[in-house]
Amino acid sequence: MSADQTTSGGFHHAQDKLTFLLSLVPYLIQQTQVSVHDAARHFGVSEETIREAVLLIAVSGVPGSDSNYQHGDLFDIDWDAFDQNEIIITQLVAIDDSPRFSAREASALIAGLQYLQSLPENVDSAAYSSLAAKLARGASETPSQVIVSPAATNESFARVGDALSRGVQLEFDYRDSRGQSERRRVDPLRLDSDNDDWYLRAWCHSRRSVRTFRLDRIDALHVTDLAIDHRPSDVHLSDSLFDTSGEHTTVVLEFRPEALGLLGEFVPEGTRVTRSGDMSRASVRVAHFHGLTRLVAGLAGVARVVDPPEARQAARRWALDALASYPDATSSETTSSETTIANA
Amino acid sequence: MNSDAPVAVEERLFSLVLALVSTEIGLTKAEILGAVQGYRQKFVPGGDNSSLERQFERDKDDIRELGVPLETLESPTDPGNNQALRYRIAKGDYDLPSDITFTPEETTLLNLAAMVWREGSLSGESRRALLKLRSLGTEGSKQLIGYAPRIRTRDAAFAPLTDALDRGVLVRFSYLKPGEQNARERTVAPTAVVQHQGRWYLQAIDQKADAPRTFLLSRIVGPVVATRAATPRPASPTAGDDALAELDQIWRTHVARVSVRPGTDAESRLGKRRGSIRHPDGTISLHYTDLALLADDLAAFGPEAVVISPPTLVDAVRERLLAVVASHSDAVDAV
Repeated sequence: MSADQTTSGGFHHAQDKLTFLLSLVPYLIQQTQVSVHDAARHFGVSEETIREAVLLIAVSGVPGSDSNYQHGDLFDIDWDAFDQNEIIITQLVAIDDSPRFSAREASALIAGLQYLQSLPENVDSAAYSSLAAKLARGASETPSQVIVSPAATNESFARVGDALSRGVQLEFDYRDSRGQSERRRVDPLRLDSDNDDWYLRAWCHSRRSVRTFRLDRIDALHVTDLAIDHRPSDVHLSDSLFDTSGEHTTVVLEFRPEALGLLGEFVPEGTRVTRSGDMSRASVRVAHFHGLTRLVAGLAGVARVVDPPEARQAARRWALDALASYPDATSSETTSSETTIANA
Repeated sequence: MNSDAPVAVEERLFSLVLALVSTEIGLTKAEILGAVQGYRQKFVPGGDNSSLERQFERDKDDIRELGVPLETLESPTDPGNNQALRYRIAKGDYDLPSDITFTPEETTLLNLAAMVWREGSLSGESRRALLKLRSLGTEGSKQLIGYAPRIRTRDAAFAPLTDALDRGVLVRFSYLKPGEQNARERTVAPTAVVQHQGRWYLQAIDQKADAPRTFLLSRIVGPVVATRAATPRPASPTAGDDALAELDQIWRTHVARVSVRPGTDAESRLGKRRGSIRHPDGTISLHYTDLALLADDLAAFGPEAVVISPPTLVDAVRERLLAVVASHSDAVDAV
């Protein structure tokens, strides 16, 4: 997975390229001799990226006393070995150790570790603290305070994780957003999270395709003894949890520009967003109005459905049905003492 | 070397780092521009090098951002003279301390910790942290395959606030409290940015009240403006943990009671929230940190969930449902 971040195309930003050079040098020195292939695998980059970087390192160095670069002031490699795709640094200049982490890099890793603390098979809190302390000590400045509470997990989580690691099938009742419940048998492939929500990516035997299941919609979970038919390595999983490209109903949403992030998977990356006065608009595809209705009901005053009329009506109906359960509005709209954050 | 061939940015930056690490006393700007690969090709002796000087200023910032301790030294004989300033990178401050190593298990965990940020404003930092981690040569162990955890930073305010936090400067933004009609401008000294139950909060010292305040990032309206003013005092090293503990405390003491329709999505999901209790009469007790956020969540469930208490939550949910009706009613489909 992590290798996806640096694909064969190499790095896009100069800062990433520089970091790569500063990281590759100490690695090559420590390895003494390493093949282009192994170095590429270790860093999760293409062999071409490694070759280009080695060629650049081999002609780099420090300016001498007369402000010219002399042969003795440059890195050098064993060129014959390099022809055989082996890397050996024969002369080094200025740097030989790994660079420190920046404060932001260290705080990103520390916050990531905090989030992972609730995962099964994870380190205990003492091991975590020592790892966080090590990162802080390895940073050039005190890491800033970006703190994340451990990801919430429910009782299904550990058992799904167990099935994943043992490669066995799962059975469970899955109740979709419309309240329809059905027994499913699946090959678990991966557990994905999105902040506090967990999703099981799995090959569903009843649907004969890959499906995404919200963990909090799973009930009566049973870990079977049946080996999985589809291994995670055989199935390509995209990074986005839901694929809406095949859906046929198009709806137009209107929302406050800053609320785009709150619409999540409903507005996939790359969707065209237009401006209409103070508001933004986007056309999105949905399978049915049900999820959409919930979305806009939870974003009162922030987002609404504009088109088609049936979708608008569904949203209105949803809210009216809910209002019918409350005694008639005798209490005027109080805004007095809500418990809210930033009571400034 | 052919001085006509264009020099790639990373080659110039790499050469600058090498030159500054290998000098003890530091190099002046003139020495750098005249000698270091990537600058010297464009340097005009005795001429106007102002654009090259600006280039050097940007390069310094880029290098420092990577955690490379690029120092500026005043000339002891000529203090205050910009041209006499010397630049260097002290090798002891550059190198990762030699006793810092990571086991294969720790490496796996750190790989996963970096992957958590694979999108959003810390993705560059986590990518570069991973490269530095790999420079140590340790391969990760095979455990924890099958997890793709992810933290989202959907709030536009996240990047400017964490940036201001790093630089220790005051920020200004408009904040819309729930129940109020208009956003009010705040000037605050950020002390921590924390995520609690999936939501991002800023912990900061409000400059007007001179007291700590917690702000929900999603309620910040419009841009966050970083000022040039430094924060009056350094943030407490426990500011973030204190903020989380406070949010937890609020969460523990606030409980709502909700009636859910059997066999619905609301029943499945509200019943599985952290700390929620299902009662025999089919109602559910839920902990919450922020009444307005819970009201949003409950309004989304529509007729599947009906609030019993507290009364302020009943009002807040009704208010939202009425707003949904209003914003989806118009002449066009009122046939």
